[in-house]
Amino acid sequence: MRDIIEGPPGEDDAPLPWRIRLMWFAGLAVAGSAATAVVAYALRALLKL
Amino acid sequence: MAVLGDLDALVLARLQFAFTIAFHIIFPSFSIGLASFLAVLEGLWLSTRREVFRNLYLFWVKVFALSFGMGVVSGVVMSYQLGTNWSVFSATAAPIIGPAFAFEVLTAFFLEASFLGIMLFGWKKVGPGLHFTATALVAIGTLISAFWILSANSWMQAPAGFAIQPDGSLIATDWWAVVFNPTFPVRLAHMALAAFLTTALAVGGASAFVLLRDRDQPESRMALRMAIGMFAIVAPLQLVVGHTSGEVVREHQPLKTAAIEAYWQTRADQPQGLVGWPDRKAAKTHGEIAIPGIGNAIQGVSKETVIQGLDAWPREDWPVVGLVYWAFRVMVGLGLAMIGLGVWGVWRCYRGGPETSPWFLRASVLMGPMGFVAVIAGWIVAEAGRQPYVIYGVLRTRDAVSPVGAGQVSVSLLAFMIVYAIVFSAGAIYILRLMNRGPAPHEEAATPEDRAPGSAMAAAGEEQ
Repeated sequence: MRDIIEGPPGEDDAPLPWRIRLMWFAGLAVAGSAATAVVAYALRALLKL
Repeated sequence: MAVLGDLDALVLARLQFAFTIAFHIIFPSFSIGLASFLAVLEGLWLSTRREVFRNLYLFWVKVFALSFGMGVVSGVVMSYQLGTNWSVFSATAAPIIGPAFAFEVLTAFFLEASFLGIMLFGWKKVGPGLHFTATALVAIGTLISAFWILSANSWMQAPAGFAIQPDGSLIATDWWAVVFNPTFPVRLAHMALAAFLTTALAVGGASAFVLLRDRDQPESRMALRMAIGMFAIVAPLQLVVGHTSGEVVREHQPLKTAAIEAYWQTRADQPQGLVGWPDRKAAKTHGEIAIPGIGNAIQGVSKETVIQGLDAWPREDWPVVGLVYWAFRVMVGLGLAMIGLGVWGVWRCYRGGPETSPWFLRASVLMGPMGFVAVIAGWIVAEAGRQPYVIYGVLRTRDAVSPVGAGQVSVSLLAFMIVYAIVFSAGAIYILRLMNRGPAPHEEAATPEDRAPGSAMAAAGEEQ
């Protein structure tokens, strides 16, 4: 668990360019939604609804 | 199995719902409060850069991830159960309840699911500002989720804004009245405060447990102080909100009020029963300790106002009075204990710190799980007190059950008991082990020896 959950960048770490950070933000948000949708549709298919 | 076989499908379906909802409610009531706690911790870390807040965040986010996951899994079971065991209820009320659940998924669950990934896996990738945004959005999502679920449940307590179709199904005629039904606003406030209190007690209990071993542990000292601040403010507020909720219940569900207070007779100047043993058959409370002359005042009406007792309804319509009566007293008793703990904690903060009193720490550990007990007791009052209706005054519980056999429900109930015992025991044990270990300095911060002299971390360490 400790290795999976990411902590904040260290004080010495150079911050990523803002475009890259924004892309990660949008990408992870879409991936989260997509993962939820995949589980929901899989359950629906499993129940033959 | 023989015991279950003697019960009919209705009783078994009710048992199954009670069993699964009692498990389920533990997790959302914890994750609603924890999400807001995490947002506060991260906000404090961003504004002060004190390592103690970051370390607390990184510790409690693990507990949040687990309880969020278990809340989702146990919540999915609830919705499927509406189809399997309560199909008549679903067919009757789906045009009203269905949209509320759909809005919950679309506006709350997707919000949480989308930004949970960033919260857990994206701090380095998105940077502190966007990460805080994600944490705040997850916290807002948990509250929106509570909004829709409480709206749907409150509509079942005091239905409004609907019409009955010729085939018996219900349709909404006024969505505003459906969503903001009479009991909803105060019940939402009551539940949200209950979630914050539950979390504060759990955080306080876990921190006190660590402090009993090591009273200089900086993260646990800070978390205990934050928890004390929370329940010192929220517990008295909850008393006021809970009382207001009781007044709304008396107005819209007088039968439930009669069961809560074991008012057997309709009369003015009701006494206020404190404890006793309600006997449904004899229609009296054995060994009751009651204060005469104050029942009406507590209900918020004049002494001359006639308050309906259980005798105003046919006996077969009475809920299980003893269950509702005692669940209410457990909830209120624990609420008063929370207020007492808050006062004691604030006093200790001004007398050398709460960690200097082993008795206060032990009391905090003892009260740690009591928020969950109070939440479950409160939901027993709400749900068992609504009986014999599933939609108050509209659809009786016995008419809402699916046409399924007792055998089928017995098998699924047994399966739930076995699976829940394994899955949730494993989850609970893991969370308890995490709490037992307590928060630790972030790996990049490592031990106090690694902290550079004069750095912010060293300063935080010295300050603690």
